[in-house]
Amino acid sequence: MKGVGSMAVITVKKLSKVFKVKVKEKGLKGSLKSIIKPKYNIIKAVKNISFSVDKGEIIAFIGPNGAGKSTSIKMMTGILFPDNGTIDILGLDPSKDRKRLAYSIGCVFGQKEQLWTHLTPYDNFKFFGAIYDIPESIVEKKIEELRELFELEEFINTPVRNLSLGQRIRCEIVASLIHEPKILFLDEPTIGLDPVVKEKIRTLIKRMNKEYKTTVVLTSHDISDIEKLCKRVIIVNKGQIVLDDTMDNLKYHYLNKKIIDVKMKEKVNLDDVEGINILKDKDYNLKLEVDLKKKTISDAINLLNIDNIIDINISNIPLEEIISQIYKDGDK
Amino acid sequence: MLMEVKSQIKATHLSIKYALQRELLNKFTFISNILFMIINNGCFIVQWIVLYSLKQNIGGYSFRQILLLWGLAAMTYGISRFFFKEAFNLSDIINSGKLDNYLIQPKNVLISCITSSVEISALGDILYGLIMLILYGLSVKNVILFLTCGILGSIVLTSISIIFSSLSFWFGRTEMVANTVDSLMTNFATYPEGIFKGIIKIMFYTCLPLGITTYIPVKLISNFSLPDLIFIIFGTFIFTSLAFIIFYFGLKRYSSTNLMNARI
Repeated sequence: MKGVGSMAVITVKKLSKVFKVKVKEKGLKGSLKSIIKPKYNIIKAVKNISFSVDKGEIIAFIGPNGAGKSTSIKMMTGILFPDNGTIDILGLDPSKDRKRLAYSIGCVFGQKEQLWTHLTPYDNFKFFGAIYDIPESIVEKKIEELRELFELEEFINTPVRNLSLGQRIRCEIVASLIHEPKILFLDEPTIGLDPVVKEKIRTLIKRMNKEYKTTVVLTSHDISDIEKLCKRVIIVNKGQIVLDDTMDNLKYHYLNKKIIDVKMKEKVNLDDVEGINILKDKDYNLKLEVDLKKKTISDAINLLNIDNIIDINISNIPLEEIISQIYKDGDK
Repeated sequence: MLMEVKSQIKATHLSIKYALQRELLNKFTFISNILFMIINNGCFIVQWIVLYSLKQNIGGYSFRQILLLWGLAAMTYGISRFFFKEAFNLSDIINSGKLDNYLIQPKNVLISCITSSVEISALGDILYGLIMLILYGLSVKNVILFLTCGILGSIVLTSISIIFSSLSFWFGRTEMVANTVDSLMTNFATYPEGIFKGIIKIMFYTCLPLGITTYIPVKLISNFSLPDLIFIIFGTFIFTSLAFIIFYFGLKRYSSTNLMNARI
């Protein structure tokens, strides 16, 4: 477990949450039956998870759909009550000190809007300033500062309902920063955005983390978000933490594989060579996956014969593949 | 504590102001909703005019008292629907996980939620209530008592809806129960107390507290009595406390959802 120390701003210990879900059989008969004799499924959404996060970290809290990441975040923000375990956020227990904690954390749920759509972003920010009891003069200054940082100049006085999704998400993030939270929970902030806007949001999150030292807990299904923003990743599957490691370790050591794309002068036969998996073999182009536990890169290049190579590109396994593999391993 | 109350009032005021601003976007709908509500309520008085032309006293009420009864019923209904509209959609809000936004704010979840939108037609009810008071008889005493009873009654109406809607934390979709209780409260409130007997009358002072929202207030304005006023205040306190206790007790069972939603 990373991040344990005096600087920890989030400490979660043995956290669990169970949901009781009514099971309905098919058709009208099934519905009637479920009224007379209801059956329930017990879903263990979060099972005994423990971790901590240090001040200023940007961590990815990821997992497949239904893994328990949103439930965990909702317990950390005081939306849901845990069944078991303890949560300490900045020295507060979210289930007991929800209101006090709200002054120190910010939340952006990509799927749920907080902004009033008929109001302009400016009026919304003033509303959130009042919600967090910030004096008007300070709110004005903060809006000015965030307007520059998040480049809102063009649309700060346009009603939210007329903004593009990307502009709206930027405003959602600004609204959650009005009270200068020490921790920001971002639940899929780039959902539905185009690549250019996604990149912009990522840059802004990085800038915000650098400027204000805000700790960020990010969930996203977009691996690029995680790769570009986070130095540490916690992977949750079926309610349990299956990996808690640095991004570097995850990338370079977890699967220990490299991809070699090579253009040859003459064909080479590498069938049945241990540690080398041929992904593509077309004309004089080869794509190989090298298992570094069994073969080194130089061994692989020697097998190809260095004089026989016209062009070569060695890359890491895409992070997306590594994470999918971890998800699949967790399913077994 | 005092600062907290002040800050909650400021946030609630802003929330209602912005919700009203949203409704004002369509001026025609805004004005027509109010006007038609007044006309709608006015139509019911015609049937009472006919009835009182046949009989001088119905259920112990004179025609003037019927006007007062209708005024109070419209006022309590209007205030509760205008200021606390979402209390009447609370069951759906709980089931569809829409409490999340209020739970991450440093304010009272229940108050923030129920005051997040306004019902424009309810302004028609409030105006109608005032017209009925004018027809009953204007005096400083009547205005003060009428407004006090209207506000307290609306708090009781809202509390009843919160209590029955909060059952959703335990039993899922209970909006039918909440809506039925709400309709009973609204419908019975427009008939004189004297025509009801037995178990129904007991209900008016327990689970359907029309005694507190309309019947005792009619008595109080017609013939002031301090014990009646104290009874109304005490009853309001009990139902409000019950609403908060049940809601917050149930909130521990709130399960949220990942459904997409927006504040529109």
